[in-house]
Amino acid sequence: MTDPERPGSMKPWLHGRKPGDRRMRVDRPHAQYFRYSGPGTLIAREAASMPRTPTGRLIESMRHILFGRRLSNYEEIDERLSKKKALAIFSSDAISSSAYATEEILRVLVVAGAGALLLSMPIAIAIALLLAVVSTSYRQIGYVYPSGGGAYAVARANLPGIFALIAAGSLLVDYIMTVAVSTTSAVEQVISAVPDLNDWRVLIGVIAVLLIMVGNMRGLRESGNIFAIPTYLFVFSALLMIVIGIAKVLNGEGTPPAGVAASTTDLWNVAGMVLVLRAFAGGSVALTGTEAIANGVPAFKPPEPRNAAATLTAMAILLAVLFIGITFVADSFGIVAIDLPVPKTVISQVASIAFGGNSVVFYLFQAFTALILFLAANTSYNAFPRLGAILARDGFMPRQFSFRGDRLAFTSGIVVLSVVAIALIVIFGGDTHALIPLYSVGVFISFSISQSGMVRHWLRERGGRWRTKLLINGFGMVLTAVVAVVVFVAKAPTSLLIALIIPLLVLMMLFIHRQYSASAAHLKVRDDIVIAPPHREERVIVPVPGITRAVVQAINVGRSIAPDVRAVLISDEPEESAQIRERWERQIPDVPLVIVESPYRALVGPMIAYLDVLNQTWPENKEQAVTFVVIPEYVARNWWERVLYNQSANRLRAALIGRPHTVVVNVPYRREDDDMVSEPSSS
Amino acid sequence: MGEGKPAYRKAALALNGGPTDELVVNLGCQLAKPTGAELVAIHVIEVDWSHELSDELSQENEAASAVLDQAEGIAERYRIKLTGDLLQAREVASALVDEAIEIGADVIILGLPYRKRFGGDFAVGGTIPYVFQNAPCEVIVAREPIPTTNITTIPPAEKMPASTAAGAPRGRSLRDRVRGNGR
Repeated sequence: MTDPERPGSMKPWLHGRKPGDRRMRVDRPHAQYFRYSGPGTLIAREAASMPRTPTGRLIESMRHILFGRRLSNYEEIDERLSKKKALAIFSSDAISSSAYATEEILRVLVVAGAGALLLSMPIAIAIALLLAVVSTSYRQIGYVYPSGGGAYAVARANLPGIFALIAAGSLLVDYIMTVAVSTTSAVEQVISAVPDLNDWRVLIGVIAVLLIMVGNMRGLRESGNIFAIPTYLFVFSALLMIVIGIAKVLNGEGTPPAGVAASTTDLWNVAGMVLVLRAFAGGSVALTGTEAIANGVPAFKPPEPRNAAATLTAMAILLAVLFIGITFVADSFGIVAIDLPVPKTVISQVASIAFGGNSVVFYLFQAFTALILFLAANTSYNAFPRLGAILARDGFMPRQFSFRGDRLAFTSGIVVLSVVAIALIVIFGGDTHALIPLYSVGVFISFSISQSGMVRHWLRERGGRWRTKLLINGFGMVLTAVVAVVVFVAKAPTSLLIALIIPLLVLMMLFIHRQYSASAAHLKVRDDIVIAPPHREERVIVPVPGITRAVVQAINVGRSIAPDVRAVLISDEPEESAQIRERWERQIPDVPLVIVESPYRALVGPMIAYLDVLNQTWPENKEQAVTFVVIPEYVARNWWERVLYNQSANRLRAALIGRPHTVVVNVPYRREDDDMVSEPSSS
Repeated sequence: MGEGKPAYRKAALALNGGPTDELVVNLGCQLAKPTGAELVAIHVIEVDWSHELSDELSQENEAASAVLDQAEGIAERYRIKLTGDLLQAREVASALVDEAIEIGADVIILGLPYRKRFGGDFAVGGTIPYVFQNAPCEVIVAREPIPTTNITTIPPAEKMPASTAAGAPRGRSLRDRVRGNGR
């Protein structure tokens, strides 16, 4: 049916129920791909991002299966966490370190003999006191930086830029190490329960990291209850284990190590100062992850800083109780880590004593421990990509790090984190103890820098009770700096790697920043000028192999750019080129054809040389003309056809990239169905 | 859908680009959510007699498309599929009813704006009465909330004149002015 008011119109119109009622549906061609959000502003729908080719659609469907459907920015979850939930989600990294911190102390002390193992308790208490100082200092950061007070943010706000970069480098290393150490430790917990899996430890670790990576690429969120459950399962079962262990000790079941020294002085003599410091450095790994709550203040329910501070205190108390409790029971039963014939972690031996080695509860506890450790690895997948994105926005990392993928995840950061963590697991043979020396150095450097930033903040801002706050952060700064040095020295020579990696990262970030700053300065347009129309003259060069439909289309495009159009034929066949000239002058008489004979059969070189000559012959008193090189291209229908076409065009295009005063224009000619192709216009 | 409330299969949402559109779409989404009913947002461009009905009123079309697009945006937040139907007609009301019949809608939802001028009143206009009288399906009108500054304090019942004691608006009541003929 056609519109009678407009004869010839093909728009369908519709009759209503009553005579004279007519209406017409209006097409909305944009609606499939876009949505108007305001005048002149469109929002792209999911369909606009979908591939159009069959191959692209196939890849997309595979991505869909692996990573899930694309999410829009509006689907981002902005959930606020209660204290209970936040404690579970943010503390998994810190609390899970109690699974291997005791072991790191005992591994060092056992070298000095069984008697030295008794020093593990004083060392654990010293580390718990350090934890108290660090968490008290971080409570203040949460109040001052409610938008998230990572070491980088605090340093950037208060200290010279280089300190912020050192903090950032330390944190990046810390996050990578968290993934590697937590994963290997989780695998060791599994092996302690199922020793037959020992030969597959590296493979299991790699697969675990890949699974966590895929989960995060799918946009895994930490806010779900599923992430809170493993933490509480571990915490409650570990507390139960400690209570049973202590009860057994009180019941006289403990078997303290043979040759126990009589007094503390004797113990010091047995172990030696260096060994004690090394044990302290090993155990200080328990503090890793303490800063997570201060980083995540915005995720708390209001009043955010107060809730975060309360959660941080609860986390510190829990961690201290677990750490000291596990150490006490291990100490009382003379437990040390066993590596051969199959590894048995200290915590698994404590669980074995408390629950019984073959009981269901023991296996459950090992599963809970492995779960919280995998969860701790997952926390880095939130922090590392986010820090990478912040650094990218500040111009210190490649911009790809700030781009979010189809599932709202910072894909580049996730991939880089996974690749480096997997490399570490493979290089260190999936051995947690071998990885630990690389771990805590970076953590204490970032602690120390953030505390320094806070000291500077109090000195500058002052405010109520600033002297007390300054004292707390100042004490934290000195203590963490001393511990950083102790850990660095005690864990040498492995820790020397960190002394190399962090400066390299800082140099890399400075280099990237300099590159971006230079390009930004180069590309900057003053905002006080009105952009005038172009004043440089333009000419068009069309490299042609002969007369084809693709060439005719490219010539027509060239004509639309500038009046000065010339075709250039590079030929090594003089007879053939003479025939082409005869035909050219007959069919395209208004566009001059320049034939360049190439007796050495080169194509790109003579074309570049011809363009050079054109530039050189341009009058010196005039600004150099812009040369548009319009390259005709034939679009192959199938991917396998592509190798047959456009090879010369590709080489020429590659040679012209970056050439001054030159713009390369590709004019693709798409093969249509034969009956749809009309002959080029004879005019 | 709760007991006593009908479960709609397809709802036609009449949008006019005004402040009630959001109300209408939100109401439609809330009704559709439990039953998975289909939503069709209808916006009619009224073509006056200086134009032909088939004229492409492109400027109006961008604004008109925006009306439907914004409705789709609201529906997306509810994770409900809403399709937009843009029409050109001489009369909005008849086009709306005819379209609702054609798409098989079992309910039409319209918005009733509140005008603040002259002490404030609901602007019923001609569309709502026409739809009430001619729609073969149920009709729901979502009224725009009365601004708090325009609400007059109701005196105690014993001091009120008899005609307004039941709480009806003074003068001709809304019920008197618009009468639905739903099934």
